[in-house]
Amino acid sequence: MSLPAATRFNLFVQREVGRLWLVVWVPTAIFVLSVIMRYRIRNVRDLRRRFRRLVRETDKPILICPNHLTMVDSALVTWALGGPWWLVFHYRWVPWNLPEYQNFASVWLSRIAAWATKCIPIVRGGEREQVSKVLKRIQHVVSRGDTAIIFAEGGRSRTGRIQMETIAHGMGRIVNSIPDCHALCVYLRGDRQDRWSTVPKRGDSFYVDFEVFRPESENSGMRRSRDFAVQIADRLVQLEDKYFALQQATA
Amino acid sequence: MDQSEIRAKIVEIIRVYAKDKDALASATDDTNILQDLKVNSARLVDVILDFEDAFDIEVEDEDADNVNTIGDAVSLIAAKI
Repeated sequence: MSLPAATRFNLFVQREVGRLWLVVWVPTAIFVLSVIMRYRIRNVRDLRRRFRRLVRETDKPILICPNHLTMVDSALVTWALGGPWWLVFHYRWVPWNLPEYQNFASVWLSRIAAWATKCIPIVRGGEREQVSKVLKRIQHVVSRGDTAIIFAEGGRSRTGRIQMETIAHGMGRIVNSIPDCHALCVYLRGDRQDRWSTVPKRGDSFYVDFEVFRPESENSGMRRSRDFAVQIADRLVQLEDKYFALQQATA
Repeated sequence: MDQSEIRAKIVEIIRVYAKDKDALASATDDTNILQDLKVNSARLVDVILDFEDAFDIEVEDEDADNVNTIGDAVSLIAAKI
């Protein structure tokens, strides 16, 4: 995995521009979620305590792999785990994102906004070479200590449950390509989220749980990456089963 | 195994995943697997893993990046067997 020097420089500039106005865009995004949309994270103190312990105890590269139900999931996951001011002082944990090009970067204004907020737009199902270039950028930033979010499913789940048939090979490929890279599986779901949607309902309350692990495989090559992707998705399914079991127990 | 045998075997493997079976019937080396045959991009990995099993080869992620058309797949497999 080696990126051309110009690409590495561009990523460096992009990262530092994001850092320059971090104090504006991160709290603003969270203001929108928490005040305007009135979203709430359940048990947020315990969740953040667990997450910060993980941050203190690990020096491993981390790829964040959440389930995917709405277009604001990455912002919700980042907010749930970090909190606005903690994120401002822990820029590494403001993850890189891979938004769908058509949704976030097809017009110049949103393209600039995406660039300045650690986003690398991707065309899902696009040319293999282009997708590969984006994944190599993510490999680069994660291997250098940043985090990134790649949704475990190729798109928002049409059934409302983790769809194993659409799991994203790219996340396995990235974890496989970075020595000792761990997957942080995050399960996020709004109480009123039955299926997929553009944004969660206003005022919704979110259940969030996570686990971190290093996938294992005796295979090599692409099959090893595939094994990793399946194990990550399996772990998310376990978190999802736990969520529904809790829902049933409290019903 | 010559290239036409490889091509025939590839087409059989892709048949399971292709949504456009008519396009598959008239496929050439220039036929794009995702766009022309309407194979779901998430399933392309399964297609290539099936190639591994069928031809007893190992494919790296970087090799797979270059597989866009049936001709690309034939070239990749021919180089590995």
